[in-house]
Amino acid sequence: RYVRQLQRLQLLFSPTAADSRGARQFVEEAAVDFARQHPDVVLYVSPRTGLAPVLVAEYLNGTVREELIASRTSEEIKQLATKLAGQSGLDIIRIRKPFHTDNPSIQGQWHPLTNKPSALTVQGPRLQPK
Amino acid sequence: MVLLSVPLWLRSRLTDRFWRVQEVLKYARHFRGRKNRCYKLAVRSVRRAFVKSTKARREKKRFLRALWITRIEAASLEHGLKYPAFISNLVKSQVELNRKMIADLAIYEPKTFKSLAALAQRRRQEGFLAALGDGKEPAGIFSRIVHHY
Repeated sequence: RYVRQLQRLQLLFSPTAADSRGARQFVEEAAVDFARQHPDVVLYVSPRTGLAPVLVAEYLNGTVREELIASRTSEEIKQLATKLAGQSGLDIIRIRKPFHTDNPSIQGQWHPLTNKPSALTVQGPRLQPK
Repeated sequence: MVLLSVPLWLRSRLTDRFWRVQEVLKYARHFRGRKNRCYKLAVRSVRRAFVKSTKARREKKRFLRALWITRIEAASLEHGLKYPAFISNLVKSQVELNRKMIADLAIYEPKTFKSLAALAQRRRQEGFLAALGDGKEPAGIFSRIVHHY
């Protein structure tokens, strides 16, 4: 069954600063709907003064992602929150290979002696196969 | 009222210069010499590095295919077959494995590769018999595969 990788979303904004206006509108209008639509994500809303408004997302594998929401509208913050809710906590870098195995070899990896006759099979003038 | 021209005494200063320079230098950190420190040299080197990496994506496909072919040739020579004979007989037996998979099998699955080499060898012998044996003996098993294309 699907397990949402987003653990908690912390919305830190200032109650008076101008760039937190979108965050305040989000909290008034859309935060409760967002929390209802994503029941397995915990949404913390805490006002703090003096610093830029930020949305902190923490994932089940421990990664913490901070996104600045200064001077953004409530709609954009909602879209950003849904995007973060759909992500997993893996780092966003280029994936080198789209596949991975822990056991690449089943028959035993090739080494220089795989296709050579062993002491059990070698036939020489004096050596007999055992 | 709308002002359409900025007065000449209004000056604005660039405050972002550090970060604009760092955006370029971060791609040059592993270079050799002064190109990894000095912006003027780094700009040229970083641009050339990007251009080379874009063009090299086409070369990479050719390079990897040559690598696979080398590995398959080495592996099939261990079993007494040359590469052209191996590949052509596999294709005639309708085994549609690409070179990447055959090379991976040769490394990680040596017994499977040995059986593929034996299949190709058998098909080769049947081909010789069909060409030289004048059709009195029944045609071989692996050469009677129905081709679905």
